[in-house]
Amino acid sequence: MTATVNKQRRINLNRVSPEVYEAMVVLNTAAAKDLDPDLAELIKIRASQMNHCAFCIDMHTADARKRGIGDQKLALLPAWEEAEGIFTEQEQAALALTEEMTDLTRRHVSDEVYARAAAAFSERELGQVIAMALTINAWNRIGVTTRLPIPKR
Amino acid sequence: MTQTLEPKTTVDRVQIYKTSPELYDAMMVLSNAAAKDIDAELGELIKIRASQINHCAFCLDMHTRDARKHGVSEQKLDVLAAWEEAGQLFTERERAALALTEAITELGNGHVPDDVYASAAAVFNDRELGQVIAMAVTINAWNRINVTIRLEPPRS
Repeated sequence: MTATVNKQRRINLNRVSPEVYEAMVVLNTAAAKDLDPDLAELIKIRASQMNHCAFCIDMHTADARKRGIGDQKLALLPAWEEAEGIFTEQEQAALALTEEMTDLTRRHVSDEVYARAAAAFSERELGQVIAMALTINAWNRIGVTTRLPIPKR
Repeated sequence: MTQTLEPKTTVDRVQIYKTSPELYDAMMVLSNAAAKDIDAELGELIKIRASQINHCAFCLDMHTRDARKHGVSEQKLDVLAAWEEAGQLFTERERAALALTEAITELGNGHVPDDVYASAAAVFNDRELGQVIAMAVTINAWNRINVTIRLEPPRS
């Protein structure tokens, strides 16, 4: 299967469905409000890793580095649960919630993970963490389905 | 393991549409944008199939009702989860859209394969294909909200 990846031209959603693209930008702006930008990048990268969105991983690791998120955090992100002392409690709570929200096909969003996030964030913050996780999931689906090309850095 | 048989309502979840009102507004804008130029019946089939895969009870309840209102047959609704095995019950366009929706919904298992994409590109024009993708993306977003906040379906 891997041999066929990137061989096929796909539609440019921004061109054929501009209202959808504009709505996604509105959604993105709404989700980013009152959310720590460093935390937002970690949510976006982790979901993009799980969803295998190359464009999104590339964009958000570049953004994260610009924001000063360290190489070690970025390297350990897929194994954050095993990386004791590297991620804050808020980061861990948000990452656990992001992972369960991204993986809905296999399980629901468990009480344990939800309660950890509810303990670490105010209701408003929690709502925005959830909003960011579902927004990047939506971008991931667009990026993967339309095979957005990755710019050379 | 018997725990899983208990109703999953033990932790109160955030009223996200109150705490993040901009999210609701933005989702409505996205929903309206995705619904343009797409057949309503096809839209409902996409929404129900993604909601089945993502286990969104509220979304399943809402969209099976909406589908009935749009005249989608009971047989199609009943067999939707196994549409691939249902021969010609679903049209070629429906089958192509459902296969694409499933691939878009299950990104954790892989990418959106060329054969699935090509089957959809063969039966939809570029604009229609964009809107089918948009609809699948949008219902996936609603599924994530309503599963996370455990929105309960209204009792009928």
